[in-house]
Amino acid sequence: MKGMVAHLAVSWRLYLRNRMAMAYGYVFPLMFLAVFWVLYRDEAVPLRRHLGELFTVTILGGACFGLPTTLVGEREQGVWRRYRLTPVALGELIASTIAARFGIIVSAGLLQLGVAIAVGMTMPAHPMALAAAFSVATLAFIGLGLLLAMLADTVPAVQALGQCLFLPMLVIGGVAVPIASLPDWAQRLASFFPGRYAVEAMQAATTGNDLSALPLPLAVLAVTGFAAVLAAMKLFRWEHGRSFATLRGKGWLALILAVWVVTGLLAGLRERSAAALAAATAPPVVVADPLSPWKQLTAKDVAGLSFKVPSDYGVVAPFAPEDELPDEALQAQMQQLRDRLPQWEPGRLKVDDLQRVRNLLCVAAVADAAQEPAERYIPGVVLAHLQTIFPKPQLIQMLAWIALHPDDGAVVQDVSALGLTHEVGGPDLVRDRMYFYALKCIIRLTGRLAADPVSPAAAPP
Amino acid sequence: MARTLGTPSDFIGVTWQTLPLALRVVLEARLDGIADKTRDCAMSAHVSIRDLSKRYGAVAAVRGVSLTIARGEIFGLLGPNGAGKTTTLECLVGLREPDAGEIFIGGLDLRRQPAAAKEKIGVAPQSPSLPGRITPREALHLFGSFYRQAVGPGPLLTRFDLTAQADRPVETLSGGQRQRLSLALAFVNQPELVVLDEPTSGLDPQARREIRDEIVRMKGAGHTVLLSTHELAEAEQVCDRIAILDHGRVIATGTPRELVAQAKAPQTVTLVTARRLDPTLLARLAAGAAVTLDGDTARWDTTDAAATLAGLAALLAEHHVGLVDLQMRPASLESVFLRLTAARTSPEGPLS
Repeated sequence: MKGMVAHLAVSWRLYLRNRMAMAYGYVFPLMFLAVFWVLYRDEAVPLRRHLGELFTVTILGGACFGLPTTLVGEREQGVWRRYRLTPVALGELIASTIAARFGIIVSAGLLQLGVAIAVGMTMPAHPMALAAAFSVATLAFIGLGLLLAMLADTVPAVQALGQCLFLPMLVIGGVAVPIASLPDWAQRLASFFPGRYAVEAMQAATTGNDLSALPLPLAVLAVTGFAAVLAAMKLFRWEHGRSFATLRGKGWLALILAVWVVTGLLAGLRERSAAALAAATAPPVVVADPLSPWKQLTAKDVAGLSFKVPSDYGVVAPFAPEDELPDEALQAQMQQLRDRLPQWEPGRLKVDDLQRVRNLLCVAAVADAAQEPAERYIPGVVLAHLQTIFPKPQLIQMLAWIALHPDDGAVVQDVSALGLTHEVGGPDLVRDRMYFYALKCIIRLTGRLAADPVSPAAAPP
Repeated sequence: MARTLGTPSDFIGVTWQTLPLALRVVLEARLDGIADKTRDCAMSAHVSIRDLSKRYGAVAAVRGVSLTIARGEIFGLLGPNGAGKTTTLECLVGLREPDAGEIFIGGLDLRRQPAAAKEKIGVAPQSPSLPGRITPREALHLFGSFYRQAVGPGPLLTRFDLTAQADRPVETLSGGQRQRLSLALAFVNQPELVVLDEPTSGLDPQARREIRDEIVRMKGAGHTVLLSTHELAEAEQVCDRIAILDHGRVIATGTPRELVAQAKAPQTVTLVTARRLDPTLLARLAAGAAVTLDGDTARWDTTDAAATLAGLAALLAEHHVGLVDLQMRPASLESVFLRLTAARTSPEGPLS
């Protein structure tokens, strides 16, 4: 314990004396902040919708570059070999290394947050949840950084390996490029990059629309981090000069790989199975009015719905906030959609109101399932159109019925008449997404979206 | 155990093999102590290494090394590069796990209780191996925190003459200052055993002398010192006992003087006479050894100093030649070392 505290204090002092490390730790995050601020300056509140991405970049830099560079550098100097000559336990030194880096990253995050607020960002919706998400993400990536230090033989190898982890996460892992704008294969792959969960968790806490979505990403991060620290301790190298090839305990790498694959698969499965679960657990109802069974649903029934939906910024069922404007090309497409929607035949169905709502929801669901470039903006247009047809209480009842019976009725798969020409794989996927969009529309209509100055709950423009 | 003075049965009149095993082990240890000429009455085996072996893949770095070091002794480990010195030291300080063998330090089994044993050891590696931006004061505090009991930085900075550099980054210190810091770090836990790996290598003569004086002071303060070195003169000066390692084995142990006597190395005779002596007379005196003649100075090696002196006196008297200068230089540890290690041509070869 004594050794841990002393090592922690020395680590911090040495960090503050190292100008290069300070530049990496504080200047780069601010540069990223500036870039994001320039890129997204047209948004209603600057940076707010990108804080998760910004923080994740900062954490990745400190944990997956700063930490292993320092550790491997010290190992090359023989510092860790010298430590080994003393009775100090490895656990103490690992704990102080983690704690020191945690402090460094938290200070960089606070600096970033402070500057972001100074340039006009509003306070995050749930500061405590954000702090928790930031901490868990930081610890998880510190674990990966430790593991990286054990895999790399030299400092240049750290840089190379770090890039192998960093760049894919930035580009196709949903960190620097929003997941929604990625191609289908990359979106699937993103489930396997922990960066995505860090972004999701911190973004949810910042924008505050669906805190119920927090536990999964946090759990994935915690498990990944724990497995990585464990593997790093088993593979720990005190001395420079023993190459990775001669290292014992490489079997522990299998642990971290297994965790990686399993969490990725589980996260993918979870998003898929929510609709199936809702169908299976729907309460049996006595149908009084065969054409309008939804009329018997009460506000209590609506409140009892499971509002566990994927993030609005995620791969599945994205839903752009109202003030987020698409770029010019997409704006034209949205205008076309707004113009054509009232004339679209399936949307004018006279006999069955429920099916009419389903058909219209399918427009958003198909766009999402088919990876339309404008997928995140379409649900807003559809919801606005629905509100012009039905009074709000009725619409909520119908949407609730659809969410409770996702397997009923028919789905529309061809929406090419609306200018959305991408093809969709099959009706099941559309049903899945229709279910989520039904819930997301209810969330918006009933004001369940937390009071948020950026994305107000009330929908009509 | 590497014994230089014969088996215990040479000292006692009983049939050694008939004694019970346990008794034999006890007696062996006691007799070993008695046989040790540098022994002090109060000394007991402080460090004992038995049958230490370590392989790196196909290479056997250490093959059955056994050593005992008495409390308060300065013990030198000598040997050419690749002899197994470093591996032996690394096993002793807990940096490497031996393949076989036992290591006891102050009665503690290093392999079973590494943390407890390390509390008793202070190590000064060849370089301090510290982060470049740490200061001596911080380093002493940090390393002190790793032990249950430690000396504060202040007294150590004073003792090792680092007060002026106490708050400067280590990377700005001179070689001698770094070496002193390395020594200071070895003393933070007031160790019973101090291990020094080539303590004076790469230092200038002034710094070398300071370190040597410091090593002698350690003995005065009651520490047991184990050092490895290439510097034979240094080993001769500071070590009470020396072990010479070659190809992973101990090939000789003893006091520097014992080693010289034991190796029967020749002494060099340098003779300066008032006038030139007949080379054939000199050749007869040198008993076949090659004689180098340089004007009035003759030089040759002899293994029998007494006979040489007697012959020389008779010769000079008979031919009425004045003696200007005569030097009999004893064999150096260096020549002993070279003889011992050169005799072993192959790793599997027999001892000379």
